[in-house]
Amino acid sequence: MTSKAQVGSVSEARGPAPGPGPAPVGVLVVEDDATIRRAVQLALERYGYRVDVAADGLGGLEAFRAGAHDLLILDVMLPELDGIGLCHRIREESPVPVLMMSARGDALDVVAGLEAGADDYVVKPVDTAVMVARIRALLRRATFGPDGPAAGKTGRDRAPDHLLTFGDLTVDTLGMEVRRAGATVSLTPTELRLLLEFAAAPGSVLDRRRLLRDVWDYGWEGDTRVVDLCVLRLRKKIGSGRIETVRGFGYKLVRG
Amino acid sequence: MNHLNPRALRWKIAALAAAACCAVAAVIGFLVHDATRERGLRVGTDRTLTRLIAAEREYDRTGKAPADIDVRSRAELPKPLARDLATFKATGTGTATGTGTGTETGTEAGTGTETGPPDTGAYATWYDADPPNWFWMWGAVAVADDRFLVVRDDMSTEVRSLQLLDRSIVKSVLAALLFVVPLAALATEPINRRLRHGARTARRIADGDLDARIGTAGRARDEITEMASAVDDMAAALQRKLENERRFTADVAHELRTPLMGLVTAAGLLPEDDEAAGLVRDRLRALNALVEDLLEISRLDAGAERARLDPVPLGELVADVVRRTGTDTRVGGVDGGGLVETDPRRVERIVVNLVTNAHRHGAAPVEVTVTGARITVRDHGPGFPPDLLERGPQRFRTGASERGRGHGLGLTVAQGQSEVLGARLTFANAPDGGAVATLDLAPRPA
Repeated sequence: MTSKAQVGSVSEARGPAPGPGPAPVGVLVVEDDATIRRAVQLALERYGYRVDVAADGLGGLEAFRAGAHDLLILDVMLPELDGIGLCHRIREESPVPVLMMSARGDALDVVAGLEAGADDYVVKPVDTAVMVARIRALLRRATFGPDGPAAGKTGRDRAPDHLLTFGDLTVDTLGMEVRRAGATVSLTPTELRLLLEFAAAPGSVLDRRRLLRDVWDYGWEGDTRVVDLCVLRLRKKIGSGRIETVRGFGYKLVRG
Repeated sequence: MNHLNPRALRWKIAALAAAACCAVAAVIGFLVHDATRERGLRVGTDRTLTRLIAAEREYDRTGKAPADIDVRSRAELPKPLARDLATFKATGTGTATGTGTGTETGTEAGTGTETGPPDTGAYATWYDADPPNWFWMWGAVAVADDRFLVVRDDMSTEVRSLQLLDRSIVKSVLAALLFVVPLAALATEPINRRLRHGARTARRIADGDLDARIGTAGRARDEITEMASAVDDMAAALQRKLENERRFTADVAHELRTPLMGLVTAAGLLPEDDEAAGLVRDRLRALNALVEDLLEISRLDAGAERARLDPVPLGELVADVVRRTGTDTRVGGVDGGGLVETDPRRVERIVVNLVTNAHRHGAAPVEVTVTGARITVRDHGPGFPPDLLERGPQRFRTGASERGRGHGLGLTVAQGQSEVLGARLTFANAPDGGAVATLDLAPRPA
């Protein structure tokens, strides 16, 4: 179901790559179980990723600061600094896509991880193919832009009205920039993608299922809590009144 | 709840108050009635005796009785009077009063006897309350041999006033009841409110709000407070137990999944075309499924699962889910069909388990049909074993060994998930052979 060609296209779509030639996508795996750490590393390397590993939270933070990574895979239960704390710390510094990996899979772990700013989560044990699919979806979100693979997908009317204004919020669909009352708002790729989804249809209600499908590339198997928590995070950044909850249906962007 | 429910506590307490009120009124009424009657009789007796003494003096002086007094012979006397007079003759002097009922009460009469003449001085009175000539007070005294002065006094005024008294007692009791019953009903309101609050809270706890507590606010240290704190203690104990169980389940999940994850990922690294690697991967899948089912069952058992309801196009969902099982399953009635308020991930679990079960234990063709909010999974195999039809899915029971492999948890999980959804999952055998499992997602009629 996967081939080298697809992997290649992901890394090409990554945008300006450091150094000559298309560099492989860098993934940092922070996992305390040695077997999983090594096996995931080997598996992902087979798919063409450059994989760095760390065994605990502080080591993970250090490794993240040391090298440029395009994506982070964090275990929730880590010694020293747990995955949730680590995710918080990383979010303060960077909007890099974060995939949480939880072995407990109960609501608290999942919600805490997503609240901390993770873009998605998987419950162990996860098949390598599934993990790679999630990684690709995350990277697609991270790299889409005017020329990104997803830009055309939603059929957004770009030029010349690439500047959309909602009250004090300005969304530049070309420059991929969001400003609130003049100040730039730093959004993670998932949050930006979600906001663009709303901006494309201001005033109309988007249900969770549809958002999960269009933003996260999930089918019915997806967990709508991911949407709820991402909306929650987005609200904190762009103003809580901007996105309204429509009980029983979903969310909508307020125009004025 | 319903203020008109005749079995409500408020009406029971009101009835009790009314009964107590009536009982007190009956006792006091009886005492008052009796005392008044007694006094009436005494007044009547005194009056009769006064007239009799006056008549006796008159007779002694003039030899004739006053016009309103009869002079009778013994034979003409009413029987009780005659008997009393006879008694006096035997015992000497005294006064006797009798009533029509025949009970005799020898009482030391008041002034009448003391001032009476000492020679004869035996006065008999008799209260005649018998029909037809009732409510007369008779008095008699012997003045000569076989000559008796007989006085008859009308007692109807006393009787009448006694009747009026009775009537006014009844009236005041009714008036008191009119006041007491609503008051009692109102006075139960605080109690009722506390009980209702308790019942509501207990129901909330039952519905999964484990933090709900009745609380013992308020000053009253009564049985209700005691019950409330007992229920609160119970809720706290349940919550602790449940949380321990949840934590245990989560810990077990972590401990099982972590090595499994390493295994799964490592097994994925083994060469694709190697037969031994294929065997490992196959058993790993089975082990993985078993662990997930067990964890799911323990989560369901712990009551930790809550449905996340969303409007879902059921037909579309089922078609998609069945397609993803990768089995040869016919799907019918999925187009059209409205939205159903349910948790799609749980519906998916149930449908996948039913379809997998049908393929594993039944025989092709397997058909999945969606009608409204009902999903039917049907196969054409030997049908469900009688044990399952009778008692529902049992863990690790796969029926006869010829029905194929499986750990027997799939249907248990499906059943548990359908309970979380508030849906009904029923198992039956079609008349023309084959097992039929029906999941009805329509809300239960209230």
